[in-house]
Amino acid sequence: MTAATTAYGVVTVDVDRAEWPRAVTQARDEGFAFFDLLTAVDREGDGFDVVLRLWDPRRRTGLVLRTRCPRDDARVPTLLGVFAGAGWHERATAELFGIAFEGHVTTPLLLPASFEGHPLRKEFVLAARVAKRWPGAKEPGESDADLATPSRRRPQPPGVPPGWGERS
Amino acid sequence: MTPYEQGLAALRAAQYPVPVRSRGVIALLEENCTVCMVCARECPDWCIEIDSHKETLPPRTERGRPRVLHVLDRFAIDFALCMWCGICIEACPFDALFWSPELPPATRDPAELVHERAELRAWLATVPAPPALDPAAAPAKEQQDADRRSGPG
Repeated sequence: MTAATTAYGVVTVDVDRAEWPRAVTQARDEGFAFFDLLTAVDREGDGFDVVLRLWDPRRRTGLVLRTRCPRDDARVPTLLGVFAGAGWHERATAELFGIAFEGHVTTPLLLPASFEGHPLRKEFVLAARVAKRWPGAKEPGESDADLATPSRRRPQPPGVPPGWGERS
Repeated sequence: MTPYEQGLAALRAAQYPVPVRSRGVIALLEENCTVCMVCARECPDWCIEIDSHKETLPPRTERGRPRVLHVLDRFAIDFALCMWCGICIEACPFDALFWSPELPPATRDPAELVHERAELRAWLATVPAPPALDPAAAPAKEQQDADRRSGPG
């Protein structure tokens, strides 16, 4: 199944995961011959979007191709056979999102060997959000010393799950 | 002037003129700050630190009530964390924060990128004037108020 949408002037084509390499090959052969970037988006309950942007150097126009894979089956066929340069991006995406690219044995690219987890997944706990105290926890008229009194319910930082920053 | 500072000055002099509305540093007009904490809470990377305390003003009339005032003790922006999104400036309900096109000076120590309130106030001098109103536009609210108070009658 393939569907094209236009948003903010960008044409995006949604492709079934089984059709992924075939659709990209077709786009390449139609003139979108320049591989721009490949990355992923964490859609939480809906799984992951793998996003590819191609460029047509003659018509000077871009095209975004997108495929989706479920969270518990994060696998997408590799594009190595279509664009050799996709390998680098697939390695980064595999490492940062934990998505497997079938037909491509991805090796670590950016993270140290001892690193655990996939840091661009939404559930990944940001160390900086745990190590640093949220400056917005103070109410007007309070300073750091007032934070020691646990008397009232304090505002929670947006986007940080409860309990993250509490060091007790 | 150390050779390092000389080099910086030469670089600065050679720098092409940046557009007036560039995002360089953030200036603070303390008089407008009510310590509402909105900027510190909106900042996506937690780079604004604000400390304040409460002061009680005596009642102005005999039957009046004392008023509690929030007084700013510390306002610091860590430009090592800031990502120039400008959300604090947009969010400030009292127009206490402004973009200046000046860039934060290079330092050898990231801790020096934390600009305290005196530095943030000093950047005010470099904030460009707001864009002129449309010729047909009504005068600004503040201007209208001032005109009404000092006007004839």
